[in-house]
Amino acid sequence: MQNIYTVAQVNSYIKNMFTQDFMLQKVRIRGEVSNCKYHTSGHIYFTLKDAKSTISCVMFSSDRRGLPFRMEEGQQVVASGTIDVYERDGKYQLYARQIELDGIGALYERYERLKTELAERGMFAEQYKQPIPRYVRTLGVVTAQTGAAVRDIINIASRRNPYVQIILYPAIVQGEAAAPSIINGIRALEAKKVDVMIVGRGGGSIEDLWAFNEEAVAQAIFDCRIPIISAVGHETDVTIADFVADLRAPTPSAAAELAVCDFSQLMDQMSEYAYTMRHLCERTIRNCRGRTQQYSVRLKYLSPLAVLRTKKTQTLSLEERLQAAMTGRLQGTRHRLALYAEQMKGLSPLDKLSQGYAYASDARGKTLSSVAQVAVGEQIDVYVKDGRLTAMVTETESRSWEAGQTDTGTDKKQREAADG
Amino acid sequence: MAKKKEETTEKEQPLSLEETFAQIEEVISRLEAEEITLEESFAQYHKGIELLAHCNETIDQVEKKVLKINEDGGLDEF
Repeated sequence: MQNIYTVAQVNSYIKNMFTQDFMLQKVRIRGEVSNCKYHTSGHIYFTLKDAKSTISCVMFSSDRRGLPFRMEEGQQVVASGTIDVYERDGKYQLYARQIELDGIGALYERYERLKTELAERGMFAEQYKQPIPRYVRTLGVVTAQTGAAVRDIINIASRRNPYVQIILYPAIVQGEAAAPSIINGIRALEAKKVDVMIVGRGGGSIEDLWAFNEEAVAQAIFDCRIPIISAVGHETDVTIADFVADLRAPTPSAAAELAVCDFSQLMDQMSEYAYTMRHLCERTIRNCRGRTQQYSVRLKYLSPLAVLRTKKTQTLSLEERLQAAMTGRLQGTRHRLALYAEQMKGLSPLDKLSQGYAYASDARGKTLSSVAQVAVGEQIDVYVKDGRLTAMVTETESRSWEAGQTDTGTDKKQREAADG
Repeated sequence: MAKKKEETTEKEQPLSLEETFAQIEEVISRLEAEEITLEESFAQYHKGIELLAHCNETIDQVEKKVLKINEDGGLDEF
């Protein structure tokens, strides 16, 4: 016998089955939105469909946080939530807690396709990359005028070099209007002839960054004659713009560092140049001075004055030597003379004279040593200590003065002297 | 095909900082040569100092306010 149930019982039973099913507690469903109704209560009722089937969905106002965009008919979405039974109507439906646009897969595909295509066209080629000038005076920035990106760029750029003129093009960087706005920005700043340009925005989802994957934006970056640094999102976000830009910066802050040179470093560099030049110049001057000095010494050495001086010195020394030789010789001679004089002294007749002896000579000056030499009446000279006497020989007598003989001869001689 | 930025060679502007620095480096390497004459070294030093002065002139040391392009392409303070 089969039981008979009430409608409520059956629906309750089915609901119970649904709630006990693990899979139905958390499902993600991809489909197209249709019959979307935003109810005044805040709940949203809609249907998800694909080519073969449909399913009713509801999102309660309490779950609205899970829907970051306005849901519209025809949108491709992924809705996640619980599938449960609405007992009153005997209908099951998706109680959605989170709904996201299902563009990502398609976007990735488009991204890859465009990347390949542009790469084939050579737009990423190194040869087209313009060098980023090291010292810029004006920096163009294409980004949103609010948000972290512009603040970071301004902070870092003006910290590194407060004398750089930053010109901002406030661009729309997200949504449909973003691509044309970014392109306008690039062109406007190119017309302003900035030295370098940063094009970018802060981090976000792939959809947020999508403008930087648009072909038109890539083309504008490529065509720009001013070097462009791309700075889109975070380190890990790489967009088409990054490939086509002249330089890719991982973040807006990094872009500012790459674009603007560090002013204090620049100043240091300059003073180092000045120092090096002065130093080298001083070295050369020192060298030249040293060489001048050397030459001056050599020249002095070779000057006529020096030659003269040398000759003079030579002369002087010769003179001295001559003098010395002469003096030596003289002294020697004098010495010998003195010696002779000493020797002579003993022999000198003069000494004898002083003792009372005299010596006689004939009129012709011949010394008289014998009586035979004179005749009586002859005049002779007698020499005594203090002079000469002229005497007349009155008498001669031969005698021998040997020992023991009388000294008459002496007396006679004395007499003769007295006569004189 | 890619035909990028047909060379902007019409810029016969005064020396950029980078070019000036390159010239200063050159001056320094001449000064470094041991066999440089005194006259040459004076000449080079003079040139170097002038280049540095040029650098200083080039560096426009006036703090800049950030400017913003408006719809007409004019500039406003940001």
